[in-house]
Amino acid sequence: MEVFTTLIPYILRGLNITLGVTAIALGFGLVFGTLLAITRVYGNKTAARLISVYVSVIRSLPHVLLLLIIYFLIARIVNLSPYWAGSLSLAIISSAYQSEIVRGAILSVESGQMIAARSIGMTRNQAIRHVIIPQAIRHMIPPWSNEAAIVIKDSSLVYILGVPEIMRQAQYYSGRNPTKPFNAYLAVAVIYFMLTFLTNRGLDALEKKIRIPS
Amino acid sequence: MDYITYLSIAIPKLFAGLLISFKVTFVSLGIGLLIGVPAAFARVYGPKWMKNLVIAFIEVIRGTPALVQLFLVYYGLPQFGVTFSALTSAYIALGLNSGAYQTEYFRGAIQAISSGQMEAARSIGMTRMQAIRLVILPQAFRLVIPAWSNEVVSMIKISSILYLVAVPEMMTVARELYARYFNPFQTYITVGVVYLIIISIITYLLGSIEKKMKIPGMELDKRSMQ
Amino acid sequence: MDPKTNSIIKIEDLHKSYGQEEVLKGVSMEIAEREVVILVGPSGTGKSTLLRCINQLTTPDSGHVWVRDVELTDPKTNIDLARQHIGMVFQSFNLFNHLTALDNVMLGLIHVLKQDKEAAREKAMLELERVGLANKHMNYPGQLSGGQKQRVAIARSLAMEPVVMLFDEPTSALDPELIGEVLVVMKDLALEGMTMLCVTHEIGFARDVSTRIVFMEHGNIVEQGPPSKILNNPSLERTKQFLGKISDLH
Repeated sequence: MEVFTTLIPYILRGLNITLGVTAIALGFGLVFGTLLAITRVYGNKTAARLISVYVSVIRSLPHVLLLLIIYFLIARIVNLSPYWAGSLSLAIISSAYQSEIVRGAILSVESGQMIAARSIGMTRNQAIRHVIIPQAIRHMIPPWSNEAAIVIKDSSLVYILGVPEIMRQAQYYSGRNPTKPFNAYLAVAVIYFMLTFLTNRGLDALEKKIRIPS
Repeated sequence: MDYITYLSIAIPKLFAGLLISFKVTFVSLGIGLLIGVPAAFARVYGPKWMKNLVIAFIEVIRGTPALVQLFLVYYGLPQFGVTFSALTSAYIALGLNSGAYQTEYFRGAIQAISSGQMEAARSIGMTRMQAIRLVILPQAFRLVIPAWSNEVVSMIKISSILYLVAVPEMMTVARELYARYFNPFQTYITVGVVYLIIISIITYLLGSIEKKMKIPGMELDKRSMQ
Repeated sequence: MDPKTNSIIKIEDLHKSYGQEEVLKGVSMEIAEREVVILVGPSGTGKSTLLRCINQLTTPDSGHVWVRDVELTDPKTNIDLARQHIGMVFQSFNLFNHLTALDNVMLGLIHVLKQDKEAAREKAMLELERVGLANKHMNYPGQLSGGQKQRVAIARSLAMEPVVMLFDEPTSALDPELIGEVLVVMKDLALEGMTMLCVTHEIGFARDVSTRIVFMEHGNIVEQGPPSKILNNPSLERTKQFLGKISDLH
């Protein structure tokens, strides 16, 4: 079908935007989320409580709303393109969820590990870096795989800000080919499905590879 | 205009939008339940082809954004001559979406019930259907409550995408408000506060329902829900 | 071959394999009315499998099973109907967790035997009294001790008025001090004339009430006979060895 020669390439023009938004959101989300998690587990009580409230609030609000709030907030302060504003908004949202994942993973490493590390003279930071985190990473992969799929899907929300990712491309296409809107959105659906599918499978394989024999 | 005056105008309108949000959430959850329970049983007890069908359904829905699902129904189906209103499209898309997730939650609950329950029921002469209806299902419904509470909150959050198809729920009202009064940031913060209050109330209510339904000694093993 | 008319259970040449492992290697057995048969042997020798093949919770690969002259291995037989007459007590009790003790016993009466609620309630209370738990009828399984749970499970099976009771290691999951209360109930049942087939390690129980002890190993019946013979003077060295070991423990 000539649909494939015109439709797919057209939609794919938005693919690297989609991938970019996802990568920024996941990447920044991981870094920030890990910091939040470590502070919450090992930091002082007030910080921990503040973070806990912050995470609760973010997890209670619709992503669309958060996206818009942060976008309008950022737009007041710094002049960022919708691409960056949208990506960073998703990053902030994802960091809240990822902090829970990292926190869960850290807590699932038994407390004896930290005590053992300290007792051979490691500082707390050394213990965290060399003993806790390597073990936590293994526990983290399944829920993180889930979060990755969610962020891939959430990247569709930057459509709202006019960012030309694949949803926007589909909308342009169906604007020019008003008889074929279903095809356009179906193509987008297939692309998202492949992205989430490959990501999940890839992370599953990674998990198996780094599994500690027991 | 100052914030208090603004609130006196905004709150009643937002409230009207909130009711629509509730309506959509409620109906979608209901459709999701009607899909999810039978699908979960098919997934656990059905023949192989049925299991695979359910798995495919779940994978497709969970692998694609809700926004795309909504657009496929609302903007896409007219390609085949099938046109639904924005609200109906919402019910269909979100209903199917919830159905996929609820299938997984119920599957987790059913599988958390030990096989011994089914065996004991069969061993006193119950048919499989009787065992499912009288022994498995009542226990599954209790075990699923924590995960289902999650789904309620999730649906309320997801319903916000409906403003893109002009369903007059809270986000749509918010947009109209800030277009009129030029204060997007304040409007959305207000909406945010409303969501926080609503979700806190709902979480509390669902929590007390869970407590009421608790059967002494029957463990709600959250680990099996993941 | 015609099964005997007072034979309650007749098993002919049962085979069952799990993957590569053959768990039942052609077991045959007959149990007459009022017999109390104890099945002993090392773990994994097919004793539980044999029991579960009787009420078809496990389907044998080949062989035949008759209960009261009805062939359960015949695909045309209504197995649900047949199970109404076979009582089974599980090692892990398997009480319905969402129901009170009374409702547990009543469930089968109402939905399987189609009795009306009042009649079912009376019958259920009677059975609970029989096992000594009438005062716990409003409790949920989560509120009962292991021994109490097992007794309710026995009441649940008895309420259906089975012709035979199958016990699959009924006391193996119980703390030692709770075993006694269950054995008392089982003893009373035996003395009342119930046909029973029990997989158990409780040699004392076997000595007191059983009419026959069957020693199984590696998927075959090795030796069987009355308790006086098997316990005191078994024909095979292996039997003596095994019984010696579990007597030490019990």
